[in-house]
Amino acid sequence: MNALASKRYAMEDPAAIQEFFHGRGWTDGLPVVPPTPDAVRACLEGALLEPAHLVGVEPVRGRAITAEKLAVNAVMAGCLPAHFPVVVAAFTAMLREPFLLHGATASTGGCAILLVVNGPIRRELGMTGTFNALGGADRASAAIGRALRLVLRNLMDVRPGDVDRSTLGHPGKLSYCVAEDEEGTPWLPLADERGAPPHASSVTVMAAGAPRQFMNEWTTRPVEILDTAAAEIRANMRHYSIWPGNYALVLPPQLRAHFDAAGWRKSDVREYVFGQARVRRSEWAGCGKGSVVGDRGEREYAALRTPDDLLVIAAGGPAGGFGAVIPSWYGSKSSAVTLAIGACVDCEA
Amino acid sequence: MEFLDPTHESDARPFALAKRLATLEGATVAIVSNGKKGTLPFFEAFERELKSRFGVAEVVRLAKSNYSAPAEPPLLRDSARWHALVSGIGD
Repeated sequence: MNALASKRYAMEDPAAIQEFFHGRGWTDGLPVVPPTPDAVRACLEGALLEPAHLVGVEPVRGRAITAEKLAVNAVMAGCLPAHFPVVVAAFTAMLREPFLLHGATASTGGCAILLVVNGPIRRELGMTGTFNALGGADRASAAIGRALRLVLRNLMDVRPGDVDRSTLGHPGKLSYCVAEDEEGTPWLPLADERGAPPHASSVTVMAAGAPRQFMNEWTTRPVEILDTAAAEIRANMRHYSIWPGNYALVLPPQLRAHFDAAGWRKSDVREYVFGQARVRRSEWAGCGKGSVVGDRGEREYAALRTPDDLLVIAAGGPAGGFGAVIPSWYGSKSSAVTLAIGACVDCEA
Repeated sequence: MEFLDPTHESDARPFALAKRLATLEGATVAIVSNGKKGTLPFFEAFERELKSRFGVAEVVRLAKSNYSAPAEPPLLRDSARWHALVSGIGD
């Protein structure tokens, strides 16, 4: 492996090292693991990447992202070398043009990067996708999600008040990574449905708002469960953004059991929600936005451009009829991107 | 303990500021809005000020189609036709 190019610092006192990182705005407010050359090399070797390997170029600011710099931030976030390929794939996906990384991370809208992991690597890394699925369910999920945030902070200047102009943001900006509970469902994994090679380890990234949790434990009928989810989407359309784009729908085992019993697939879920998640502009009048209804009160707005805009994710602990709707940052300005881990971007047709 | 710098280490592309104008008298000035409604009243007032106080001959008003993305290439190409360009955001 070629030499690491990053500037080096030397310090012995652990507390002083933490203050050094805090003082320069290099952390998210939490302590970091000092990115030693050995730890960074271990990440790169594990992923078979040279330090200068170009992961991609951020299209708006033209900033080149190297594997070495990703590894430095991944180590800081607490990633093990085995976690690093997921970080590389996720950031590669984020650099794709449809994701509109700069807009999504600079916007006052304050979204976070939701990362969904599929495939065998979940098991290898101990990613569970069950209990506390959206709240840092396991070490790998917490560290990988945090790594993306530190990369944005240190390589794209996405610090609060700098490039990050979020009015509020949300807690997912610290870490927002979930593995799909593939073992707990007969459904196809999210990435497979979105065109990744079958059974490959893959990532899906989405510029996402905070989860909106809903509950319906009083029915076994899939349509009624989805009526609750669609109502939550409609609430988001009335209270936040009416524009169509990606939404994620997280369904836990207790609710999924009813879909399995009724023979519903993910595609059935998407089709039903597509039909139900619609509002009329006049509904804004009932929630304080009457001034922008104008003369288009009867115009109907769909939450999804097509059923495929809905990312259906099987995740959550075994008990509880709690699902979640995760809205996009702002309609279709940013589109979710799915990418196989280890995919050779240069090799693509 | 030795550790590495996590930042881009100032690899930003260098750029030069556009040449300053000696006067706005008789100039054509473009105002590029990010496309949000909040820019409208502000830029209308700004246009009046440019004409009445600084003698600007013509103000060209433009807006990006996506306020979260860079201006479209044709808009940037057209910028060569104007003496000055003001890019502003509003919410």
